[in-house]
Amino acid sequence: MLRKEQNDLLTQTGPGTPMGKMFRLSWQPALLASELPENECPPVRVKLMSERLLAWRDTQGNYALTDEFCAHRGVSLWFGRNEENGLRCPYHGWKYDHTGQCIEVPSEPTESGFCKKIKLKSYPLVERGGVLWTYMGPPEMQPPLPEWEFAVVPADRSFTSKRLQESNWLQAMEGGIDSSHVSFLHSGELNKDPLFKGSKGNQYNMGDMKPVFEVVESPGGLYIGARRNAEHGHYYWRVTQYVLPAFTMIPPRADHPVHGHFWVPIDDENCWAWSFDYKVTRPLSEHELTAMHEGKGIHNEYVPGTFRPRQNKDNDYLIDRAAQKRGDTFSGVYGIAMQDASLQESMGPVVDRTKENLVSTDNGIIMARHRLLRALKAMEKGEIPPGIAREHQQCRSAAVVLPPDQPFKEAAKEALVVQAGKEHATV
Amino acid sequence: MQSESARMSSAAEARYRIDAPNSQPRAVKVIALDAPSERVVKMLAERKWSRATFFTASAFGDAPKAGESFAGWLSDLAGRTKNLVEEVDAADLVVMVAAAGESAQAASIIGEACSLKRVMTTGLILGGADKSDEALSKTLSHLRPWALMLVVASAEEYVEDMLRALRA
Repeated sequence: MLRKEQNDLLTQTGPGTPMGKMFRLSWQPALLASELPENECPPVRVKLMSERLLAWRDTQGNYALTDEFCAHRGVSLWFGRNEENGLRCPYHGWKYDHTGQCIEVPSEPTESGFCKKIKLKSYPLVERGGVLWTYMGPPEMQPPLPEWEFAVVPADRSFTSKRLQESNWLQAMEGGIDSSHVSFLHSGELNKDPLFKGSKGNQYNMGDMKPVFEVVESPGGLYIGARRNAEHGHYYWRVTQYVLPAFTMIPPRADHPVHGHFWVPIDDENCWAWSFDYKVTRPLSEHELTAMHEGKGIHNEYVPGTFRPRQNKDNDYLIDRAAQKRGDTFSGVYGIAMQDASLQESMGPVVDRTKENLVSTDNGIIMARHRLLRALKAMEKGEIPPGIAREHQQCRSAAVVLPPDQPFKEAAKEALVVQAGKEHATV
Repeated sequence: MQSESARMSSAAEARYRIDAPNSQPRAVKVIALDAPSERVVKMLAERKWSRATFFTASAFGDAPKAGESFAGWLSDLAGRTKNLVEEVDAADLVVMVAAAGESAQAASIIGEACSLKRVMTTGLILGGADKSDEALSKTLSHLRPWALMLVVASAEEYVEDMLRALRA
């Protein structure tokens, strides 16, 4: 459990909040590059950490992320005309460049220089790995561009999707490090999903339903090791990475692409679940890409024209009680992503953690909260939070078989960091 | 018409979650396995807890002898000998605290008692970041067979955070 004030501290990310400050100190995925496919394309509304913004791309190809509303009368610039290196408000013709600087106020004499006094708040927006990233913190503290491995491999080796999750970011992220739910909630998928099935690791998973967990602090966050019995007295380890504040990476299975998530607050009651899959040494196959586009693995299908999942709370996630009874799926909801999202959204927009009863196997979640609270305290004293340094981003999840007496952090040391040109350690 | 899930997962409906206790306090026995962790456990014992009680097994040497009785392997923080099996029998969870690099051999005796009584065990190793991998490995190898959940924490405050999170 958390006390109410602790829960509020971790779940509130709007401007001026400590947790919001932590998110704003690192580059966050804002939207897919494909949402702004060409110069002068229509702008896209973006809400991040309770700030309403507008993403757009000018005539020269400069990306812009600016205040959504015109400084004049508060009209949404989503209705704006994207033309000749600027976005023009359709109400009275005020025009802004990609930095948010007003460059024309037609009603005022040009010579007056009035427009120079008008500037919308704007944030940098840069493309990396098919994702447009933004940094919303103080300019003097802007870190180098993100170095997450999925975002820097060649484009044909990586696939990223995003979906709307109608819950606070923290309960979504905690699902990403809650390793003990996999044997229940996702038990129907391990041997069926095209992006999971066929690995030796699945046999270990299903052969030992009571994994033992080890949680070890890493420089950027946590390693969460799930240990199951393998042959000859060895252990099969699945090591999940959590990097503060909101990055999680799931251990690989066989030669399948490796996947993970970012959980980025939209506001305090919604977040973006970013899902990536990648391989280091080969392009993703047609078969894999088709499966990802079809919503398999950790991806999902959509309500057409939106990033809202096709299975959502308005249709009870298309729960199939007969399939639940037959055991086709443990919860009756199809697909790994929506199995998680349906349950996390059912907790309510912000779960009341004063009422929960955690158990020992929840130590991954307890430690993640502890690290976040500790980092917030340190941040108030001027320390840079974990997750921003390049070496914190150079991390990997791993699936390995190890002798029984070895700490996985030591024995799998190389497997837990990026090894240029080498695939993930996998079973 | 809104679906059941849409209506019931709203912030408005969250207000109607029953405001009544949904659990009884758990009995958590926290046992220091060595002198450095005993210092941490003693500090914790001075705070207010629901049903957490604190012990030490640090005075009983490194190597338990084969066939030795469980009795006498545990003492409270005032130094009074406690019956290990009785204490474990009354526990919902046993937390063993060890310092990285120290021998945690008492874990085998405590773990065996927990196994006998089917009580959940958690091992906490403190100071893992400051010690060599070899030192950590030594402590880990003694705890691992007997802890169903293991945490290597760099900050001593984690013990309190974990116990509070578990409503100890």
